[in-house]
Amino acid sequence: MQEDHENLSKLLRLKRFEQPPPEYFESFLQEFKDRQRSQLLRDPAWRIAWDRVCAFLGEQMPARLGYGLASTAVLVAAAIASFNILESRPVEIASVPDRQPAQTASLNLNTQVQLPDLPSLVRSTAHTASISPPRYVMDTRPVSYEPPSSF
Amino acid sequence: MAEAAPVNPDVELVARTQAGDARAFDELVVKYTPRLYGLVYNMTSNHEDSNDLLQEVFAKAFRSIMGFRGRSSFYTWIHSIAVNMTINFLKKRGRRFQMSLDDVDLNIQNDKEFIELTASSSPVREADLAELQQKLNEAMLKLSPEHRAVVTMFDIQGMPHAEISKVLGVSEGTIRSRLFYAHRQLQAHLDEFRKR
Repeated sequence: MQEDHENLSKLLRLKRFEQPPPEYFESFLQEFKDRQRSQLLRDPAWRIAWDRVCAFLGEQMPARLGYGLASTAVLVAAAIASFNILESRPVEIASVPDRQPAQTASLNLNTQVQLPDLPSLVRSTAHTASISPPRYVMDTRPVSYEPPSSF
Repeated sequence: MAEAAPVNPDVELVARTQAGDARAFDELVVKYTPRLYGLVYNMTSNHEDSNDLLQEVFAKAFRSIMGFRGRSSFYTWIHSIAVNMTINFLKKRGRRFQMSLDDVDLNIQNDKEFIELTASSSPVREADLAELQQKLNEAMLKLSPEHRAVVTMFDIQGMPHAEISKVLGVSEGTIRSRLFYAHRQLQAHLDEFRKR
């Protein structure tokens, strides 16, 4: 039994003598560079990023666990992103009905429009003007084009 | 005073690659091509497939090297990539393929183990090299990809159990049990040839 095992091991070791021609290893590097350049033009950026994440996780833990965790992380990120999108949609939908009656009302010529009392409007405008600070609108173009060093 | 531990040259080459020096990665390619070729070739028994896979292995390693933090040696890391990619490839390839074997180096005639085998075992002595090579590859291809990987690394490449367990990410006990099972299967496949 032991002899059989040793003979088997010796037989298997003979497979080391199966070798490609020596020039194969000499030209391998050049072929690798050529392929790498053409592949860089084809590979999307997400695949390169994915490979880096898998390599990082694979080094920290067994390969299968690493792939599993990376996939879970991507799924969780996708779930959070889609949840945020869904959550923001009802606000937009809810704001639409508020605007529509106002538009239809303005088009109806038979509707009586109640104008505000003019003296009270003037009073309230004057009151607001006295409280709020004055607002200045600055011109975006400078008054002078001379450089500041000329001062 | 204690002597400083020798610096692994791969560490410097990896650091230079991570800093953007592609020539440093070329040195790693040249250094590991023969060994990784042996690994992939002995698992696939096909030269063209081995060449394509090896190109992809190095391309993937180059793309991922920024994520390599040196917790294992570069040698272990790139072996893991090669073994995992080859196992995936073999599972997709299934049984429909043809062997495309490399020539046997004629230096085998001077190998001590070959001389011993031909002296002690009549079937090996009588068989020509091509037949022996064919039988060995046929027997290997009857193993599952996982078992083939363990036999290739242990019996053909001479890697220790501990190193194989790091490459495959399984315990040494699992490696030993896979080897035991694989050897038993190989012995059964080669029996006809050996008892001829």
